[in-house]
Amino acid sequence: MAKLKIRRNPTRRYEAVYIFDSALEDTTIAEKLEKLQGLLNLAEPATIEHWGRRQLAYKIGRHENGYYVISNFTAAPAVLPEFERALKLDEGVVRYLVTLYEHELGAPKLSDEELASRRRASDDDDDDED
Amino acid sequence: MRRQKKPCPITEAGIRYIDFKDDRLLARFITDYGKILPSRLSGVDARHQRQLSKAVKKARFLALLPYVKGQTA
Repeated sequence: MAKLKIRRNPTRRYEAVYIFDSALEDTTIAEKLEKLQGLLNLAEPATIEHWGRRQLAYKIGRHENGYYVISNFTAAPAVLPEFERALKLDEGVVRYLVTLYEHELGAPKLSDEELASRRRASDDDDDDED
Repeated sequence: MRRQKKPCPITEAGIRYIDFKDDRLLARFITDYGKILPSRLSGVDARHQRQLSKAVKKARFLALLPYVKGQTA
């Protein structure tokens, strides 16, 4: 990796998607989530959205379902390696994805409400999809 | 003989950012087998097609979309 230039603001916005083992209790998932999020040393609390259990599009190992959690946070890049290491080691995490959440490169992102309403709207017109 | 250019469905829908979590949207741009639909068929403009292709790939990784559809495992 090329060395990053010194930025005025050493934190970046990230979006993490966790897929937890759906066989776990909700309380266990909440605990794990809190522990993992705790590793990030966040200055301000993350926005967390629980999608809950949903079917995976394909089997991952023996898992057919997963418990999806989306988290948006602003963190220093330096905390991420340790965070991802913990994610990899955690047996309860089926899969995860951490991406930059800096969509402002020319296009403002859809707000969460917009996304939610889009999801709702598209739930209704399921049949006319081609 | 030049074919009429299709309007970009993403631009028309007023979508500024293609979110990889929006699997309902992405599902409209994949084939019956789960391949990414070429923009010459969907009419998506180049810029959105690039965003779309990345979004589909992320969605596949997160098991929101299948890599291969219609496969019985």
